[in-house]
Amino acid sequence: MTDSQKTEGIVRDYLNNLATPSGAEADGKILCGVLTAMNEARSQHTVPTNGIPWSAIVTSKAGKLAAVVAVVAIVLSFTVFDVLTQPAWALEDAIEALKDLKAAHIVGAFAGETVKIWVRADVSKSQSSTMIVRSSHGAVTWVRDGSTYHYEPGQDTVYFENAITLGFSDWLGPDLLRMFSMAEDAQTLRGKDPATGRDRITLLCSIGDMHGPQSWIMEFDAASKLPIAFKQWANLDRSGPPAFEAFKITYYEDIADSLFDVQIPGNPTYVERPLTIQEAFIDMLSNPAHGMPTEGLDQQQACERILRTGFQAVIDEDLETLKKLSPFCASLGDELLRAAVFRTGREDRVTEILEIGEICKTGHTQLGPIVAVPVQVRRKDGVKVEEKTIVQFRNIAGVPSCVIYGPYGLPRDIE
Amino acid sequence: MLEDKVLVWRFNRGDTAAFCRIYEKYRDRLLKVAAALLNDRTDVEDVLHDVFVDFARRTGRFQLRGSLQGYLAICVANRARDRNRAQQRRGTERLDAARPMRCPEAGPQHAALNRELMQQMDEAMARLPDEQRETIVLHLQSKMRFREIAKLKGISVNTAQSRYRYGLDKLRSALNGELKK
Repeated sequence: MTDSQKTEGIVRDYLNNLATPSGAEADGKILCGVLTAMNEARSQHTVPTNGIPWSAIVTSKAGKLAAVVAVVAIVLSFTVFDVLTQPAWALEDAIEALKDLKAAHIVGAFAGETVKIWVRADVSKSQSSTMIVRSSHGAVTWVRDGSTYHYEPGQDTVYFENAITLGFSDWLGPDLLRMFSMAEDAQTLRGKDPATGRDRITLLCSIGDMHGPQSWIMEFDAASKLPIAFKQWANLDRSGPPAFEAFKITYYEDIADSLFDVQIPGNPTYVERPLTIQEAFIDMLSNPAHGMPTEGLDQQQACERILRTGFQAVIDEDLETLKKLSPFCASLGDELLRAAVFRTGREDRVTEILEIGEICKTGHTQLGPIVAVPVQVRRKDGVKVEEKTIVQFRNIAGVPSCVIYGPYGLPRDIE
Repeated sequence: MLEDKVLVWRFNRGDTAAFCRIYEKYRDRLLKVAAALLNDRTDVEDVLHDVFVDFARRTGRFQLRGSLQGYLAICVANRARDRNRAQQRRGTERLDAARPMRCPEAGPQHAALNRELMQQMDEAMARLPDEQRETIVLHLQSKMRFREIAKLKGISVNTAQSRYRYGLDKLRSALNGELKK
C-alpha cells in the first residue's frame, strides 16, 4: 500500500469517527428554526396545497396518512366482493394465524417519510379501536375516546375532530383477508423474498369505492402465514409510487396501553377540524332523483326522518329504499351493498336502531349545509355502537331536500 | 436520486413534509461534513441551521442541478468556511476548546484511530487551506466525485483533483510518523 493510500485510509477513518451531535440533539437546536423559516417562506408563495388553513394538516405527512388509513378503512367497508371464489392459495392458513392477534406495529412510508404505527383491534376484532401514528418529523396522530387528534409540531397545534377518522374498519385479520380474497381481480403469486430467501405469497387486488380507485399488493410469509407487508395505490393498476407502504408488520396478542400515551410538549393550540365531504361527490349528491323532501321540517327533524328510514332499510336489507336515500349507495352494485353495507350473515350487522341523536357538527358545501348526526344501533353480536352519519341538505329547483352522504368516521363501541 | 427529485418538486410546492424529509435524510451526513470543516465544532448545529433556513427560503424557486446531497454539502462547506474566517479575524480559533460530543459510530475503527492521532488529524486538517480541506471532505466524506465538486464550485475538474492531491500530500507530511508505523 502506498503512502497516499495509507493517508487516504487514515483521513477516511478520521472523518468517519468525528464526533457529531446525535440526530435528536441536532433536531432540538435546528428543526424548530428551519420549520419556522419554511412556513414563513411558504406563506410568501402561492402554493396550491395551502389555500385554506385546514389544509395545513392535510398537507402534513401524518395528516395525509390519517386520511389514507381512514380511506383504507372505509374502502373496505364498501368494497364489492363477488361470489366467493376458491382462493389460489391457502388463505385460510393466514386467517387462522391471525385470529388470535389483536395488535400490530407497522413501520411504513408515507409521502416519502417513515411512519410508525401502533394499532389495536376492538374487543370483537372487527375493526381497530386504538391507534397512534408517529411520523419521523415529530407529528403524531392518534385516536382516543372516539375522537381523532393530530399534533403538528411545526405549528404547535393539535387538530382534532370528534369522530374516529383514523383506523381500519376491518381489522388486519381474517375478515380483511377474506374480503381481499373475494376481490374480483384478486390473484396470488408465489416466490422467494430476495432479502431473506424465505418463501412468500403475494396477493394483488384492486377495488373502487367512494374514495376513488385503490389497488393493493399484500405479501405473506409462507411459513408463519402472516401478512408481513403491503402497498396501497390510489389507482386501479398499481402505477406510480404507492400512496402508503407498510414495510414491516409485527403482530402481538396484545400490547400495553402505555404505547398509546401521547406527550405533547408545551401548550399547543387546539383547532377543531371542519366537517367536509369530498368535492368529487358533489355532483352525485345533487341528483334530484335521490333524497327526501324536507319542506316544513327543521334540520334535526329531517335528519331523524331520513336516518331512521335509511338505517331501517339497512336492517331490512331493503336495497330500493337505501338507494333512494343515498346517491352513493345507488351507484354501487347490489352485491356490494349486501356484503359491505348490510353485512349480510356477519355478526356485526345492524339489527336495531336505538337512538337518532342530535346534530353534533355542521359544515357547508356548494350544495348547502351538511350535518353529522350520531346514530346508536345494536348489532347482531349484541354490541351497541354509535355510527355518525353525514347528511347533505340542498335546494334543487326550489325544492328543499336532503340525502345521506355516508359515514363520518368509523363506528364506536359505546357498550 | 429520483426520490430527491420528487421531494424537491413537492418542496417547491410548499410541502413542509417534503422539506422535513430532506432535512432528515441528509442531517447526519451534513453534520459530519460540518464537523470536519469547522475549527470550532460547537458551531456544527448553527451551520446546519443556517444552511436549512436558507434552503427553506428557496421554496417555490429552487432548481436542482445535480445531486441534492452535493448541493447541501457545498452549502455547508461555504458556511463553515465563513465561520472559520470570521473566527480567525477575531483571533478566537478554538479547536482545543471544542466540546466533547457523543460519537455514535465509535467502534473498532475508532479504537484503531487513537485519541492522539485524532488530535493530530484535527490540527493537520485545520492547517490546510480551505479549498483543499473542503475538497478532501467532500470527496471522502460526502462521496462526491471530482466532477460534481468542480461543477458546484465553478472550477475545473483538474483543479478539484489538484486541490485534493495537494491537501492529501500535506496531511501525509503531517502524519509522517504514523505512516511509518
